[in-house]
Amino acid sequence: MPKLTFRGGVHLKDYKDLSANAPIVFHQAQGELVFPLSQHIGKPAIPVVKKGDAVLAGQIIAKADGFISANIITSGSGKVKVIEPRMTSAGVMAQCIVIDNDGQYTLAPGVGEPCDCTRLTREEIVEKVRAAGVVGLGGAGMPTHVKLSPEHPEEIDHIIANGAECEPYITCDDRLMQEQPGWIIGGLRVMLQLFPHADAVIAIEDNKPAAIASMKKAIEGEPRMSVAVLKTKYPQGGERNLVHAVTGRKMTSGDLPANLGCIVDNVTTLAAIYRAVCLNEPLMEKGFTVTGDAVAEPHNFLVKIGTSCRELLEAAGGLKAEPKKVLIGGPMMGMAITDLDIPIAKSYNALVCMTHDPVEEAESKLTACIRCGRCVRACPVGLVPQMMAEAAKAKDYGRYVKLHGLDCIGCGCCTYICPAKRPLVQLFKQTKPVVLSLQSQGKL
Amino acid sequence: MEKLLNVSASPHLREPYLSTGHVMYDVILALMPVTVFGVWHFGFHAFMILAVSVLTAVMTEFIFDYITHRENTIKDGSAIVTGLLLGLCLSPTVPLYIPYLGSLFAILFVKCVFGGLGQNFMNPALAGRCFLLISFTTVMTDFGIDGVSSATPLAVLANGGTVNVLEMFLGFTDGTIGVSCAAMLVGAVYLLITGGITWHIPGSYLLSFLIFMGLIGGQGFDPMFLLAELCGGGLMFGALFMATDPVTSPITGRGQLIYGVVLGLMTAIFRTYGSSTESVSYAIILGNLVVPLIDRVSVPKPFGVGDNAKKPKPKIPKAAVALTVITLLAGLALGGVNALTADTIEQQAIAANAAAYAEVVPLAEEFGYDDAISANVEEFADDVYGRGTYGNVYINEVVVGTDASGNVVGYGINVTTADGFDGNITMTVGIDTDGTILGISFTELNETAGMGMRVDEDSFKEQFIGVQVDSFTLNKNGGSTAEDEIDSISGASTTSGAVVNAVNAAIDFFANYIQ
Repeated sequence: MPKLTFRGGVHLKDYKDLSANAPIVFHQAQGELVFPLSQHIGKPAIPVVKKGDAVLAGQIIAKADGFISANIITSGSGKVKVIEPRMTSAGVMAQCIVIDNDGQYTLAPGVGEPCDCTRLTREEIVEKVRAAGVVGLGGAGMPTHVKLSPEHPEEIDHIIANGAECEPYITCDDRLMQEQPGWIIGGLRVMLQLFPHADAVIAIEDNKPAAIASMKKAIEGEPRMSVAVLKTKYPQGGERNLVHAVTGRKMTSGDLPANLGCIVDNVTTLAAIYRAVCLNEPLMEKGFTVTGDAVAEPHNFLVKIGTSCRELLEAAGGLKAEPKKVLIGGPMMGMAITDLDIPIAKSYNALVCMTHDPVEEAESKLTACIRCGRCVRACPVGLVPQMMAEAAKAKDYGRYVKLHGLDCIGCGCCTYICPAKRPLVQLFKQTKPVVLSLQSQGKL
Repeated sequence: MEKLLNVSASPHLREPYLSTGHVMYDVILALMPVTVFGVWHFGFHAFMILAVSVLTAVMTEFIFDYITHRENTIKDGSAIVTGLLLGLCLSPTVPLYIPYLGSLFAILFVKCVFGGLGQNFMNPALAGRCFLLISFTTVMTDFGIDGVSSATPLAVLANGGTVNVLEMFLGFTDGTIGVSCAAMLVGAVYLLITGGITWHIPGSYLLSFLIFMGLIGGQGFDPMFLLAELCGGGLMFGALFMATDPVTSPITGRGQLIYGVVLGLMTAIFRTYGSSTESVSYAIILGNLVVPLIDRVSVPKPFGVGDNAKKPKPKIPKAAVALTVITLLAGLALGGVNALTADTIEQQAIAANAAAYAEVVPLAEEFGYDDAISANVEEFADDVYGRGTYGNVYINEVVVGTDASGNVVGYGINVTTADGFDGNITMTVGIDTDGTILGISFTELNETAGMGMRVDEDSFKEQFIGVQVDSFTLNKNGGSTAEDEIDSISGASTTSGAVVNAVNAAIDFFANYIQ
C-alpha cells in the first residue's frame, strides 16, 4: 500500500535519535509550580483561588471564562504563593497563579478514582473533559470540549489520532505510543462512544516503526480502529495535511475538520481524555521532551504542568555545552526563549537547546530572491510565497489577499527551503494581523 | 548560560546545503559535460572563448559592485553561469572580442543596471547573444572551419534533404560550442534530480514545439524531420538551460507549462516562417517579457479551495487573453516580415538566374521553356534527382536558348545540391545541343571563404568547359590529366564533390530527358 501523504512540504533531518530511545521518566517537580491563566485558545481563565489558599493536586484553580476557554488545574499541592505577571515563553509577561509546592502531591478528593465510562452519557463525557481542562496538547491549545461538540455529531465519520509528530527533535508522542498505548486506545474508545458513526485512525509517520508496531498491537480486537502509516514529511501533522493524507478530503482555510466529518486529536490529548473521563484525573501531566545537542542527557518526561523549564533541564543532566538558542517546541514552529525560568504550559511539548543557530548561519548567506520556485513547490497549502512576499513588502495588501495570503498556515516550509535565505514566513506572520485588522476596519 | 541566547521567529531550521551559490554552482556543474565536449570537439580556441566570456562576466559585476558601492555579489556564482551560458552559444571560431562584448553587455546592461541578481527581466546570456547577433551578424553566423551552422541542417531539411540526426544529437557536427544534445541531457538530468530545474518548462516547450512544428512545419509528423528539428538550432540548449533560468521564467508549475507552450509556439512560427536562424533565442527573449503576465494568471488556488464545493464556471482571465494575443501577434509579426520579403527575394533570384543563363549559354539571344522538358522537370520537382546517385540534387528549371533565327543553341539547367558544407549550392549548367558543357554559374553559394568558395574561381570551373563526357569524377589529389577528371579545391573536397555531382546530374538529365 502506498504511504499516505500530501502535496508539498519538506523533508527535514529529524534529530529524533537524540531522545528517541530514552524511556519516559516520571518527573515530580520540587520547585514552585506556575500556571499562566491563558494556556489555550480563547479567553484567559478566571482565578478561583487567592493568595495563601491551600490547594490539592487536581483542584481547579482558575475557571474557564465562557465556552471557548479552559479550566486551569493545579498539578501539585501546597499554597497559592502569589498571582502575578510572570514571563511565559512568548517573551511577554502574563498573569500566572504561582503555587508554593509542598512536594507531597496530595490529591484532591475523587481524583484518580476509576469509573466505568461506558455508562456515561454524551453530555457527561464532554462535561468531564471540559472540567478537566483538557486542551489540544499538540501545540494549538484548542479547548477539547469545543472539538467534541460539533454542530452535526452524526456526520463525524473519522476520528484521527494525530501521532505524526512531524516536528524535528520531539519524541514524546513517539514514546507515549510505545509505552502507554492503552491510554490512547482508551481515549479513542471514549471518542467512538461519542461518535457512533465514526471509525478511528491512528496516523503515524513511518520514521516511528516501534510506535506503529505498538499501536498495531494495541488495536487488536478493536474493529473500529486502524493504524495509518504516513510518509515522513513536514508538516504531516498539520490538521489540513493530515486530514487529506488519511481521508483524501481537502480542508480550506475556513473549514474545521468537523465540516469534513473528521475530528483530529493529538495522541497526547487522547491520553488526557482517557485519564480525565475514565480515571478522573484532570490534566496535570503531559509528555515533554528535553533534547538538543547542548543537553547532557536528552530525556522524555511525563512532567507536571507548571514545572519550570530550568528544573526539568537539570533533571535531564543539565547542559553539556553552551547553547546558542533555546526553543520551546520544535524548531519549525516553536518559540525561541531568552530565559529558562518559564513554566511548562499545557500545549508545550519540548525544550530544545541547540549549540548552533541555523538562522544565524543562514543570515550570512542571504541574497536577493532568484525566483527558483522552491517555496512554491514546498508550500503544503499551494500558495506562492515569492509573490506574497513581494506584495507584503510593497504593502500591497489587496494583492496579498488575492494571492490567498491569509491561507498561510505558518508552517515555515518556504523559509526552510529558500536558497536565498529570505525570511518568508516571518513576513507573512507579520502581514496577516495587519491585513486582518485592515479588513475588520473595512479598509480593505 | 552567561552569553545571551539568540532569538528569532520560527522556523529555526534552514535547509543546510542549499544557498543561492549552491544553486548556481549546480548549474555550472550541469553545464560541464557540454562544456567539456565542446572544448574537446572544437579545441583550444573554444576554451579561450569560454574563458573570456566567464572572466568578463565576473569582472564586470565585480567592478560594477565596486564603483556603485554595492555588496560584492560575484561569489554567488550567477555571473559565472551567465558567462558560461553565453560562451556556450557562440560559434567556436568567433574572435575573442565577441565573448568580451557579449558578456559585458549581458552583465552590465541586462543584469547590473536593473538591480543585479534576481532583478533582470531578460535572461542576460541570451540578451547578450541577441545583442551580438544584431551587432555582428556576419561573425556570429559564420560557423567557420568548413562548418555547418547549427541551423543549416534545418535548411537542408526544409528542402527535403536528409541530415544525420544521430550526429546532430551527439554533437559531432559543427555549430556553437555547446552543440552536443547528449551532453546537455546528462547535465539536465542532474539538475532534474537535484531539483535545480523541473520538467515543466523543457517538457512543455519541447512537446508543444514538436506539435506546432508538425502542424505548420510543412512536413507533417515525420519522425526524422521532427527529431532533426529538435536537435538542431540550439533548441535543446535553449529549452534545458536558457528557458529554465529561474529569474526570467514563471514561478508556478502552471505558469511554467504556459510559458513552455508560448515558447514552443513562437519557436515553431519563427522556424517555419521566419528568415533568421535564431528562432530559439528570440522566442525565449520575447517569452521573458511576458513572464510577469503569465505569473499573474497562474496563481494557483490554495489547498482545498473549490475541491469540495461545486466548481464555478471557469472564467478566462483578461490577462490570459492578452497573453495569447501577444504571443500570436509577436509570432506572426516576425514571421510575416519574412513572408513579405520572400517575394522580393524570389524576384531577385529570377533576375540572377537570367544573368546566369546568359553567361552559360553565351550564343543564345533569347531563353524560353520547352513544355515537354518542363514537364520532365516537374516530374522530379519534389524528389532528389537520380535517386541519390548524385547526392541531394534537385533539378529546378531548364531553359532553352535560341539564337536570332530561332535555332536551339544550348540549354541552361538550374540545379541545387544540398550537399554543400554550408547549405545549398544552386548553379546553372550550360549544355550544348550535343552534350558539351558550355559553362557553370553559381547563383547560391555560401561556402567557407578561401576554401569552399573557391569553386567559383575560373580555374575550377574551366575544368568542365568544352568537355563532353557521360560523367565527371572528382580527383582529390589534384594533377588530373584525363578529360573527365576534375581537380578538387584543396581542403574543400565536400564542396567540390557536391558541384561535380550537380554537374553530373545536369548531364544525366540532358541525356535522358532533353536529347
